[in-house]
Amino acid sequence: MGKKIKQIAIYGKGGIGKSTTTSNLSAALGEAGYRVMQFGCDPKSDSTNTLRGGTYIPTVLDTLREKTKVDAHEVVHEGFAGVYCVEAGGPAPGVGCAGRGIITAVQLFRQQRVFEELDLDIILYDVLGDVVCGGFAVPVREGIAQHVFTVSSSDFMSIYASNNLFKGISGYSKSGGALLGGVIANSINQDYSRRVVDDFVARTKTRVVEYVPRSVTVTQSELQGKTVIEAAPDSAQADVYRSLAKKIAAHEESAVPSPMDVTELREWAGEWGRRLLEIERRAGSGNAIGV
Amino acid sequence: MKSESICRVRYGCAVGAMHSAVAIPGTIPIADCGPGCADKQYAGLVFYNGFQGSGYGGGASLPSVNSTEKEVVFGGNERLRELIQASLKVMKADLFVVTTGCISDIVGDDVESVVGEFQARGAPVVYAETGGFKGNNFIGHEAIAKAIVDQHVGDYAGPRDEGLVNVWTELPYQNTFWRGDLQEIKRILEGIGLRVNILFGHGSGGVEEWKTIPRAGFNLVLHSWLGLSIAEHLREKYGQPYLHVPMIPIGSIETGGFLRKVAAYAKTDPERAEAFIREEERDYYRYLEEFSEFYAEYFFGVPSKLAVVSDSAYAAAITNFASNQLGLIPVKIIATEDPPEEHREGIRGLFRGISPDIPEVQFIEDGFVIEEEIRNSPRRPAIIFGTTWERDVAKEIRAGIVEVSFPASYEVVLSRGYVGYRGALSLIEKIFTATISASA
Repeated sequence: MGKKIKQIAIYGKGGIGKSTTTSNLSAALGEAGYRVMQFGCDPKSDSTNTLRGGTYIPTVLDTLREKTKVDAHEVVHEGFAGVYCVEAGGPAPGVGCAGRGIITAVQLFRQQRVFEELDLDIILYDVLGDVVCGGFAVPVREGIAQHVFTVSSSDFMSIYASNNLFKGISGYSKSGGALLGGVIANSINQDYSRRVVDDFVARTKTRVVEYVPRSVTVTQSELQGKTVIEAAPDSAQADVYRSLAKKIAAHEESAVPSPMDVTELREWAGEWGRRLLEIERRAGSGNAIGV
Repeated sequence: MKSESICRVRYGCAVGAMHSAVAIPGTIPIADCGPGCADKQYAGLVFYNGFQGSGYGGGASLPSVNSTEKEVVFGGNERLRELIQASLKVMKADLFVVTTGCISDIVGDDVESVVGEFQARGAPVVYAETGGFKGNNFIGHEAIAKAIVDQHVGDYAGPRDEGLVNVWTELPYQNTFWRGDLQEIKRILEGIGLRVNILFGHGSGGVEEWKTIPRAGFNLVLHSWLGLSIAEHLREKYGQPYLHVPMIPIGSIETGGFLRKVAAYAKTDPERAEAFIREEERDYYRYLEEFSEFYAEYFFGVPSKLAVVSDSAYAAAITNFASNQLGLIPVKIIATEDPPEEHREGIRGLFRGISPDIPEVQFIEDGFVIEEEIRNSPRRPAIIFGTTWERDVAKEIRAGIVEVSFPASYEVVLSRGYVGYRGALSLIEKIFTATISASA
């Protein structure tokens, strides 16, 4: 005991590749010898699937639904590379309060001091989509995660979600909440998408931690119910995740981001829209760049 | 005046209006809220407010979901279904009224469909959304009344009974004297030849009476504003007209005027109304005549300046009676129930109509600010018509106090009322007992 557990929350727009990135990150960290827990904070409860051969595990809330008292160990399941997998779970779609569910699940673990008991080095919270309500901001609040990373592509809606997250982080930073580690740029295959994300991080005073290209290896691995680290350990994509893992493991200093306000963000997006049209127009008249 | 936070607030939250269901004979509310909500509203509105008693279906016998974290996370539909089922089994009521609290309303429980299942089977259950964030118990009261009308009374296209009136007046339990007041209002309206759906309290015929609401010739809203939205709703639903009398009558002048106004609107026999008024006035003034000796002898101990701290309807009724019939001088008038913005101008007008030289009504909810207002009033009141919470400042400025409003924790109230003819006499007794006993 006594060691400080590195707690990291990973946010991003739904479908942008949070769980894929987080699971590969967990796998790479596990492979490198760290004691890792991946804590899925999504009522869909599929964050850790690829760490466990594509299978679902009983969630904290499912177990809580059955009985009033739950031993947190019951809902911890070991996955690839010894990664401890937990799914917070949630109510059935359309009922109850999923946000409160996340709070309940996280609190249960903290109260029972499971993190310390498992002697963890790193906990990764994989949090659903956007910060839509207080419940989903729980990992950002004081005393839980220290660092937040956001997974974003160059897609505007994804950038918009990241910018929203930055607002949440700025708010909580005043009361000792987590700070922003940076952006994990996902599905970056084109030069322009890299430039979009680079410009966004410059504007919001943060940085890109890693550029992760879109790769068919990821799809192939996921179809097998595995992470790239497990299914294609020798692939270039696996090395990208390993590089990311290394940076995250070494990451110490996070900062308060400067989110754009709505008008600023719209103008920024409008400007990029014009630039991309220009790129496309030029590409159409000259050499096709295969956008 | 608005402050950031409110201390010593003078109303309950919307779910506190579950007591409006308690006030309908044979009706039991089902509280769909946390364990503290129902109890707190009961303790505040019922117990430490005249010690009114929980009645047939309130207080400790009231079924409550007692929501826990489980109901928050997974939704409370299952638990509510279970509770309604159990309540129907073990409790005897003509009607159950599910009143939702903040948890259920925020989490988005589908109370409508849960209650709908029971309604489809013919069970007498309705529901109203009364989450505390929607407003106070005045707002909740209107929601509950509309819910019962819409979900239980239902549509009606039959003939209208012109001599039958639905009365929407004081808020049950919130007004410490509502039981006595409603009985008196019913009595005097019957006196002029109307048949009266008083709807709440011991004079009400309960749910059967509620079912006759659509048959009534008209609705009478006897309140500065409460009940207006119900009357509007009934006008839309049943095409029923309504008469709004914002001043609750206390004493012979106002009550006589009120009865004549209603009689003219309802087109009842004017002779009968006049005969009733004559008879009532005869009794009333006999008592006043006897009282006049005390009033004349004790002129040195009789207070002249008064402050009123109450909800707008009662504050107006008391100010009106005290200034126009007893000759007291209002120096501070505070309405405490946070009436909806759209009614405030009307309420100001109601007070201005009492007398041109009385102070403007102030809308204040905060106990601290109210105390300051009274303490710093350039003209000091010698008597305060207020609540238990004005006792400290009354002591400080050596004013007498008559508790007329929530919370009245130093009053035990059974059938006493302060409105109409008989209520006015009780109020006079109370005022001058307080005055004369101050020197004991």
